[in-house]
Amino acid sequence: MNMKAILGSIIIVVFLIFGSYSFFETNLEYTDVSGAMRLNKKVQLKGVWNKEKEAFFDPTTTQFTFFLIDDNGGECKVILDGAAPNNFELATSVVAKGNYMETEGYFHATEVLTKCPSKYEADAEEVNKSV
Amino acid sequence: MIGSLLIKLSFLACVAAVYYYYRAHRSGEVRVAGTGRILYHISIVAVMLASAVHLTNILTHDFRYSYVWSYSSVELPTSLLISTFYAGQEGSFLLWTLFTALTAVFLIRYTRKMNYEPEVMFAFGLIQSSLLLMMLVKSPFAFIWESWPGEVNPGTLPGNGRGLNPLLQNYWMVIHPQVLFSGFTAMAVPYAFAVAALMKRDYTNWIRPATPWLVYGAMVLGVGIMMGGFWAYETLGWGGYWGWDPVENSSLVPWLFSVAAIHTMLSQRKSGAYLKTNLALSMLCFIFVLYSTFLTRSGVLGETSVHSFVDPGMWAYWLLIGILTAFTAFGFGLLIARMKEMPARAVRHEVVSREFALFLGSAALASAAIFITVGTSSPIITGILQGKITAVDISYYSTTTLPLGIAIGLLSGIGQLLWWTRSEKGEVLKAILIPAALALVGTLSVLFIGLEDIQVGLFIFGALFSLFANLEVGRRIVKGNPKYAGGAITHVGLAVMFIGFVTSSVYDDKETVSLHRGQSIDVLGYQLTYTGFSPIEGDKFAFHVQVQKDGHTGVVSPIMYRSSFTQGLMRNPDIMNLVTKDFYVAPLSLEPGAKSSEEPFRLAKGESKILEGVGVRFVDFEFPDMEKAAMLEGREVRIGAILEITDDSGASERVVSSRIFRGGEVVEEPATYGNRYAFRMVGMSPDREDARRSTVDLVAEPIGSDAQAASPSEDILVVEASVKPYINLVWNGVIIMIVGFLVTIVRRSGEAKLKNI
Repeated sequence: MNMKAILGSIIIVVFLIFGSYSFFETNLEYTDVSGAMRLNKKVQLKGVWNKEKEAFFDPTTTQFTFFLIDDNGGECKVILDGAAPNNFELATSVVAKGNYMETEGYFHATEVLTKCPSKYEADAEEVNKSV
Repeated sequence: MIGSLLIKLSFLACVAAVYYYYRAHRSGEVRVAGTGRILYHISIVAVMLASAVHLTNILTHDFRYSYVWSYSSVELPTSLLISTFYAGQEGSFLLWTLFTALTAVFLIRYTRKMNYEPEVMFAFGLIQSSLLLMMLVKSPFAFIWESWPGEVNPGTLPGNGRGLNPLLQNYWMVIHPQVLFSGFTAMAVPYAFAVAALMKRDYTNWIRPATPWLVYGAMVLGVGIMMGGFWAYETLGWGGYWGWDPVENSSLVPWLFSVAAIHTMLSQRKSGAYLKTNLALSMLCFIFVLYSTFLTRSGVLGETSVHSFVDPGMWAYWLLIGILTAFTAFGFGLLIARMKEMPARAVRHEVVSREFALFLGSAALASAAIFITVGTSSPIITGILQGKITAVDISYYSTTTLPLGIAIGLLSGIGQLLWWTRSEKGEVLKAILIPAALALVGTLSVLFIGLEDIQVGLFIFGALFSLFANLEVGRRIVKGNPKYAGGAITHVGLAVMFIGFVTSSVYDDKETVSLHRGQSIDVLGYQLTYTGFSPIEGDKFAFHVQVQKDGHTGVVSPIMYRSSFTQGLMRNPDIMNLVTKDFYVAPLSLEPGAKSSEEPFRLAKGESKILEGVGVRFVDFEFPDMEKAAMLEGREVRIGAILEITDDSGASERVVSSRIFRGGEVVEEPATYGNRYAFRMVGMSPDREDARRSTVDLVAEPIGSDAQAASPSEDILVVEASVKPYINLVWNGVIIMIVGFLVTIVRRSGEAKLKNI
């Protein structure tokens, strides 16, 4: 074995360890409300916006507050740093990235992604209406 | 009808061309290759005609076609109307196919001269056939009654289409997709050449004709990627030019592989080694273009991205997987089959040699590509491993690519110095010393400003070292033969861009603030005053913020409007470009001022509200055409809301409450009802696409009350302001890199020709 082969293998091994460590370290789990409360780390909370309850932007704290209901019916208050995302009103489901704040009792989101309906494409009813 | 036929014709002709080119390869008969060539040209012409039909359908507003109905409308200006050609999946596949066909026109002539025609066009034809096959499944020529059988009557012609997503309605949409798809198309050429090399058992010479195409592809794709970044930064208001989004990542990966291939090909020219590496890398460029298409078109990423991915349907999904698998299996299968007979030239170089630096540089680029691929694919990987879908956080990408960025900076400096100086130890050391010393001084001065991360410090050092080393190398080359300066120029551009990355994203500053109208506040060292808003282009609003610093004053006007297409609030930032930095203002929302004691209420068009003793109904906006003309000319504009007030007895009266826009200022003109109420319009959102969604915010103030005596309410503009120092370095670095690429293309295509004469 020459020096270069050994050096090369060491570099590859180091990269593999480094890569997989970063991968699993930064992986954000998708979870529901009870999961977010239990896990106590940064997660992706998936659900829908509860339109029955208030949703507002507070200019003094520059945060947006809304209520999210997950697939299992669990509900929690979400406070997002910043304003409501672009397609928020239209989204069929939202994913909030952040942590659950145990003492304050709300989910603190740093980012909210919106999923638009797949029917967003169009449907026959709309075609007929536009005639 | 005719469009679908043309696609079918093109597909059949292309498949036949592939067959004849294969036979020409086996038999070596010139006549058979001629037949393949004719068939290929038929396919090309058919694609061009199909594109012309598609464009005609769009321009003539033929809404019988599902595609035209889904993505365009009669209101769109011509340039945007043309851009709806590729606004949807079907259209963008057609654009890609068209570019592939147009590339084939040149490629046939080029490879014929170079003696590679049957093999290269066989492989390239396979690619074009696959794209055409995709279009047979997802056709832009489907009629609405074919898309919704039984629900829409055959022959129906809608009066208007759904229109184009407002996010896409700007000039970037007109040019960015073309550049990106040109890059995707160009990446197919190295793949075709690699396959041709394996078929011809010519493992060394193929890189000469392939290199110019590879460099061209890397340049065009690189430009496309950065245009996307600039679009995101300048118009979409994502705050930065790069967000490690799957769409961005998946186009970066083929680019990284292509750049790695450029470097190992250079090594092969000099040392004769890296035969397999070059074949593999050239194929990976295109395979990752396909993988990118799969990731972003199949809906597999689902909710893990800010882009919304439309599910293309089961057929298209499996076809995408099939095409990806087929090209990977075919290319690498051929490579493995031929591996044994390839001349094994041992890679032999000193640790301090230019070849070794080139190898390490390519390895770093390929590693970055692999890390990014793994991260982007994390929803798929975790889905298989854990059965539960998760995605990596953005921090994954900076953690893994930063060390590689340091290596790339250092290697691009050392490699270039080794390349152009005689590799005598003393001389090399001398050459390295000066750039290293300069870089050290630069890095130390940055340390004085403040540095939190040691890796960022090393990254700055690497970039500065590369900059000074390549400037020195470039100076020497230009004195000799400027044609050879491509590499040095590209690396200078890269270094400049790297430095721009650090200044604009490590030393940036960001703050979210609420700006009360008329009140100045200090934000990040700038005095910001929100002075009011004015309508632009009908129902969009520009919000004017005065920016003052050191006696200089400027105005930024970010835009916000409500769109019924997305039913959401659209926001476009505005940027004050200063020489040393950008002052970036992204609007978040407009909040009604809370000065009045009366709560404002919102009425949609036609809606009523009962107040004490009276009912008020919002009838419509009063916005005569005359005023529209005035607005376009920038004169004073008055927009009124017609209100119908009904008292207890049932008698009703119409009054108009107005807002007057006068050069960035807004003056309210309340409507009074008898001596009981003054109706102030504190907010409005007319909706261009659907008038029924128009709303007004009103405050009803009892006349004579305290609130009425107070000054008109002051709305609050909420913005995210940020300062991005030396962000111009990023754009300038990209431009320098393009120049470097162009110089290299000229040189390498010259060499490719020479070889053949």
